[in-house]
Amino acid sequence: MTVKECYEKMGADYDSVMGRLRKDERVQKFLLKFLNDKSYELLCSSMEANDMNEAFRAAHTIKGVCQNLSLDPLYESASELAERLRNGQEYAEDVEVLVEQVKKDYTCTVDCIRELADSV
Amino acid sequence: MKETFDKKKILIVDDSEINRSLLSDMLADEYEIIEAENGMEASVILHEHEQDISLMLLDIMMPVMDGFETLEVMNKNDWIKDIPVIMISAETVPAYVERAYDLGVQDFINRPFDERTVRRRVVNTLLLFAKQKELSHMVMNQIMEKENDNKLMIEILSNIVEFRNGESGLHVLHIRVLTEIILKWLVDHGEYGLSLDDINLICNASALHDIGKISIPSEVLNKPGRLTDEEFKIMKGHALEGARLLQDIPMRQNEPLIQLGYQICRWHHERFDGRGYPDGLKGDEIPIAAQVVALADVYDALTSKRVYKPAFSHEKAVEMILNGECGVFNPILMTCLKELSVSLRDELRQRSDAQNFQEEALDVVEHMMDSGELDVSDRTLKLLEHERVKYQFFAELSQEILFEYTTTPEMMILSEWGARYLNMPEMIPNPGKDAFGTELFSPEDFEDFLSLLENTAPENPMIEKKYLLNVNGQERWSKVVARSMWASWEPPEYAGAIGKIVDVHEDCEKMNHLEIIATHDSLTGLLNHKAAKAQISAILAKNDGKKYIMIIFDLDHFKVANDTFGHLFGDKVLKHVAEAMRKNTRDFDILARMGGDEFLLFMPCGDEVEALVQRIFQLLHSKFHGFTIKVSMGVARAEECEGNYDTLFHMADEALYEVKRNGRNNYCFYDKENM
Repeated sequence: MTVKECYEKMGADYDSVMGRLRKDERVQKFLLKFLNDKSYELLCSSMEANDMNEAFRAAHTIKGVCQNLSLDPLYESASELAERLRNGQEYAEDVEVLVEQVKKDYTCTVDCIRELADSV
Repeated sequence: MKETFDKKKILIVDDSEINRSLLSDMLADEYEIIEAENGMEASVILHEHEQDISLMLLDIMMPVMDGFETLEVMNKNDWIKDIPVIMISAETVPAYVERAYDLGVQDFINRPFDERTVRRRVVNTLLLFAKQKELSHMVMNQIMEKENDNKLMIEILSNIVEFRNGESGLHVLHIRVLTEIILKWLVDHGEYGLSLDDINLICNASALHDIGKISIPSEVLNKPGRLTDEEFKIMKGHALEGARLLQDIPMRQNEPLIQLGYQICRWHHERFDGRGYPDGLKGDEIPIAAQVVALADVYDALTSKRVYKPAFSHEKAVEMILNGECGVFNPILMTCLKELSVSLRDELRQRSDAQNFQEEALDVVEHMMDSGELDVSDRTLKLLEHERVKYQFFAELSQEILFEYTTTPEMMILSEWGARYLNMPEMIPNPGKDAFGTELFSPEDFEDFLSLLENTAPENPMIEKKYLLNVNGQERWSKVVARSMWASWEPPEYAGAIGKIVDVHEDCEKMNHLEIIATHDSLTGLLNHKAAKAQISAILAKNDGKKYIMIIFDLDHFKVANDTFGHLFGDKVLKHVAEAMRKNTRDFDILARMGGDEFLLFMPCGDEVEALVQRIFQLLHSKFHGFTIKVSMGVARAEECEGNYDTLFHMADEALYEVKRNGRNNYCFYDKENM
């Protein structure tokens, strides 16, 4: 699997990331790093602990990283969640929906990257 | 290696490791990257490496300390002026952006990061910042240069006048300093609405007060005796003459310096009651600049030596002025003089010195700037000041004598506390000739200390040694710990040392006492066997070609003395023997009690060994309170033992037993054949 195929599979913009980071190896290196990033776990655990402030920061970090790597679907859902949680707003039904979307996108993104990792 | 030195350092502050390494990846080939996970970590790094960091990339959303808090810390510490900051936050909310700019941020890099944009922004920001710094330095240096030129010209001019006048150049300097002190007092007390700029100008202009004397014939100007009325009239003309000189300078009549100079020249001999000259102005008709310079002039004239009068003391001068002996002055200035009186003299002396020093320092700095050796930045000075305050604080706290020693000029500089404690000045030129190197240290010790330092090397600069110092008349064992300092050029040149002196007297006394206990027999005060063995072994090892003998003896029937007269009496007998031996031996003889009633004596001897042994043998024969002391002695010659203590001891011991076998009360030399 190439980096390009990986981006296509997760529905992300390969050209955009290449335009900015300029090297295939660099993009791949940081995709692999993303697998070890703890922000997603932090998001899940702070949701469980009902710590909306910490959850906001975690979502915000995921958003920032995804933006830099052009991981578009996850970037979109993490952004929506971060905006909703900004200033630690109270937990409500709609948060759950947004979190679910992030979880779905994260799983898909990470699966694709793992596939890429296995092929190299 | 060189490359990493030349690379500028960039501090990246972001809580996401991926984001940090992404930026690092883009910049690492041209910059050295330092990373911090949050504002707190960044603050710690800035504290230690402020001067090393050229640029900072800062995120906003971070745990522990966020980007805004970090910026506030940077403002508080003034770091923001020295380190440009680029925000790298994903936040684009206008309120955030504005707040960041308000806090001194230079630029923003938006996400997602684009390699070319990141690199270009970083370069631009660095260039812009460097340019700004350079410009502000150029402007500052120019202002300084101009200011110095002005001062210099005025001083040259007034020196010419003074030279002709037969005075030293110090008069102008004193007037300037006195004028400044008085004017500052006026400002502090809200009188005459003066600004700091006014003070600066008046001080500069004060140097001109006597330029009119250039036109006074030198027979009058330098006449040693009293002036005639006619001559005095001519002399008085210098005030108007000076004013005219300034008035005649073409095209410059609006310059504040000229205007103030005019006032000062013309009216610095006016008096508050209208009885001065040349115009007889009264009260505040006399401009304040002239009033202040007049007072300064009178004070300095009184406290300086002149051909027609001695120098009066500060107290006397102040008293004369206050009594109106030099004419009437503004009551406000009299209040000022009274209030400043205590501190005026000290400040004048200090400031005159400081001024000289400052001028020398300026010369050096100027020279360095000319040759491009150094760009004095505010930051460097601030850092130095910071270090100085830190050092002073710790020095005060530690209550130790800290010192700095420099070789050129040879000088010892003591910490404030140390100087107070030793009752010495903080700066001691030529310490080897001063009480520091002759009384506190004995001259030999001081020389030893200096030579120890001189023999260190840059790789191994520490020395530590105990000296018996004379601290305010008391002998105190003190430990001196020092580190030699080396000039940085190649090869490194020894430049002096820093160090401290710690009083360890009590510890040393205790050690000495313990040592005595450990090496001596508590009953007789003689050496114990162990110590004697060590000393004798050392002598044998030296193999100095001299002849020595060892004598071991014990008291015949000593047990009888114990049994008959009691143990206390026995002890007295042992002490008596020890005392007798001590009296009849020399300092370099080694005398020990081995235990019980057995003694050892080790001494150098000539050829008449037998006579010597006999003399000792007979000496020991005596009566002590009814007990007859007799001894059995074994003697061995050291030359037969091949430098081995145990062999020698064994030989003497053998000889002693030979005596005992033959009925005691005798002596015997060890003889290999017969034993």
